[in-house]
Amino acid sequence: MSEEDWLRQDRLPHIFCAGCGNGTVINCTLSAVEQIGWKRQETVFVSGIGCSSRAPGYISTDSLHTTHGRALAFATGIKLANPQLNIVVFTGDGDLAAIGGNHFIHACRRNIDLTVVCLNNMIYGMTGGQGSPTTPMGGLSTTTPYGSGEPAFDLCGLATAAGANYVARWTSYHVRELTRAILTGLENPGFSFIESLVQCPTNYGRRNRFKQVADQIEYFKSHTILVEKAARMREKGEMIPPEMILAGEFVRRNRPALGVRP
Amino acid sequence: MTRTEFMQGNTACAEGALAAGCRFFGGYPITPSTEIAEHMALRLPKMGGVFIQMEDEIASIAAVIGASWTGAMAMTATSGPGFSLMMENIGYAVMTETPCVIVNVQRGGPSTGQPTLSAQGDMLQCRFGSHGDYSVIALSPASVQEMFDLTVEAFNLAERFRSPVFLMADEIIGHMRERVIIPDHVPSNQRKPYEPGSLPFRAGEDLVPGFPAFGKGYGVHVTGLTHDERGYPCATSPKLHEDLVKRLVGKVEGARGSITSCDILNPDAEVVFVSYGAPSRTVQQVLHDHPDDNIGHLRLKMVWPFAEMVLARFTNAEAFIVPEQNLGQIAREIERHTDKDVVTVPKLGGDLHTPGELYAIVENLK
Amino acid sequence: MRLQIDERRCKGCNLCTLVCPYRIFKPGKRANRRGIVVPELDRPERCANCRLRHLYGRTLCGNCQMICPDQAISWKEDEEPVPKKVAIEY
Ligand SMILES: Cc1ncc(C[n+]2csc(CCOP(=O)(O)OP(=O)(O)O)c2C)c(N)n1
Ligand code: SF4
Ligand code: SF4
Ligand code: SF4
Ligand SMILES: [Mg+2]
Repeated sequence: MSEEDWLRQDRLPHIFCAGCGNGTVINCTLSAVEQIGWKRQETVFVSGIGCSSRAPGYISTDSLHTTHGRALAFATGIKLANPQLNIVVFTGDGDLAAIGGNHFIHACRRNIDLTVVCLNNMIYGMTGGQGSPTTPMGGLSTTTPYGSGEPAFDLCGLATAAGANYVARWTSYHVRELTRAILTGLENPGFSFIESLVQCPTNYGRRNRFKQVADQIEYFKSHTILVEKAARMREKGEMIPPEMILAGEFVRRNRPALGVRP
Repeated sequence: MTRTEFMQGNTACAEGALAAGCRFFGGYPITPSTEIAEHMALRLPKMGGVFIQMEDEIASIAAVIGASWTGAMAMTATSGPGFSLMMENIGYAVMTETPCVIVNVQRGGPSTGQPTLSAQGDMLQCRFGSHGDYSVIALSPASVQEMFDLTVEAFNLAERFRSPVFLMADEIIGHMRERVIIPDHVPSNQRKPYEPGSLPFRAGEDLVPGFPAFGKGYGVHVTGLTHDERGYPCATSPKLHEDLVKRLVGKVEGARGSITSCDILNPDAEVVFVSYGAPSRTVQQVLHDHPDDNIGHLRLKMVWPFAEMVLARFTNAEAFIVPEQNLGQIAREIERHTDKDVVTVPKLGGDLHTPGELYAIVENLK
Repeated sequence: MRLQIDERRCKGCNLCTLVCPYRIFKPGKRANRRGIVVPELDRPERCANCRLRHLYGRTLCGNCQMICPDQAISWKEDEEPVPKKVAIEY
């Protein structure tokens, strides 16, 4: 089998805009699933609502495209009713952290055996570019026309505090690292949370000084700092500029998990 | 072995679910339904089932739907405030044709209302509460025995029609204790299996497609978006949407004459009570106290889909009297289907109508 | 092995032009029938995967395929692969 076999060929090309990072994260996820050697018939993709949540519709396994924010609750039911199934959840920043925030922290607390890939484009893509809980301070959106005045969520910090067994962050530029992080998430029992920053050229990039798709990718490349390096800098009392994206593995641990295959 | 027990309505409901084959319960505590969750928490793990207390009712119904897609029979139980939270995902269950059972032990509303007192104020919400056009099945028990029997029936209907089915109980029936006969075996319907290779959302004559459970290699895509027979989203074709919604409504409404369930007493009567749930017990008392008055009684065990043809069984009916623990929700439905007088007898606040109150209406009509 | 872009899937985002160490992808100049400016390939035979995949028995590099959001990049066999033994020298 190859990654191509995991795609519903009859549904491509997908609906994502040109240059949308969602497609890249699908590639990384399927590559990880392929590497771990899961079988199609024992793998289920689940999602909520949003551009990012359309991803399972392009994957040839059983897939449940649910309601806005609720993917983790649906996935919890599937996993507990049949722990033999391997479950990957695709979710957006709005889906996960706004309307689905409660399900997110509780799924982390239960440490239920799911792998959750959050495609964080810092915006509500599907509804046309409104502010989300991860829109950075000052970020422009249709509902923050003067710049967002609210602090953004640190999704990885949230997952760590709430109890997830594995937490990592990368971006759609870091395809190899992201693939490896997702693979580690798939292997790790319990709740694995992988956040990938992704470009939304249509609704975020365009309004926030990334004229070309490549501009935001270049930004991801140049503004990423490894967790380890950040820790060293902090030790030395150096300042980490607030716009830097902390990337890498935040947590890998063995809290008791729910729904692990017997 | 068939056994007789003295138990609470909510416990009987949980026992009915277990007897029917329910192996997944996701719920959130709420008076006056909590005993159902508590009993499931006690019993399910010992039967190889799963009980989970979710973070809210939205998550509860979501988990139930997820579990159902693995092929498990699954249920949740709640009361008004939780029922309101479930509405979006109930529509999702309708659209994705997911069998599941939702118990609502009704309390007084709106809002937090009267948590410990009985009401029937959610009868229209269960029919119309989620957005869009759809149809559902709702049963209404009037005794502890029926908490058991109708829960079994709810599962069978959910499996057969691939639809959410509501057990619309009320606080009185939920908390009442009575004798219950628990049979050794209960009738059971399993969802029709999917035929590999066929289109997963194509239905035959009964309008119900076979169920392509997860984990069998069917690679089915399930979405709440308007979808074609492959299950693929296609939200822009007017024809596709119309056909899908009409099939979803049709599979339930088309069967209403054959699946409906009710008790009919004195079909030649001129004055007829129509009731469901707890108020039925007052009506029964009125009939018992006045055997010579030839008072009719239509007791609905299935409220939705409303089978209007049963009204015609009362060939001499001049008036239908409808006592309800609300301001006349099902009376409106009856009015739609008859040219006879419909007398609504609303009751709010938690108390039942008294037999005297109801008999006075009969006397008035004479 | 021949590198190819599936014109039915490519949306012309040019992300592939950013990641190839050999700069094989060049921004295209003309829109195709779907109105999409598909990148052009500059001497694609230089691609590491084209040259070395059969030797190592796995995908090499693959940056372009991985980042392409539209699953448009793939490699095609153009001849029967001749399995070769390689002795890796340290
Ligand atoms: C209950 C509910 N509220 C609102 C919406 C409208 N809605 C659809 S997608 C979306 C936001 C999606 O944002 P995100 O999760 O970040 O996904 P993205 O499109 O950015 O990938 C909203 C608000 C909805 N579908 N359901
Ligand atoms: S709107 Fe943004 S997130 Fe949605 S498909 Fe387009 S680029 Fe991607
Ligand atoms: S990355 Fe893919 S979609 Fe974008 S231009 Fe290159 S081949 Fe086309
Ligand atoms: S596989 Fe690597 S070398 Fe080959 S075309 Fe792609 S990016 Fe260039
Ligand atoms: Mg988003």
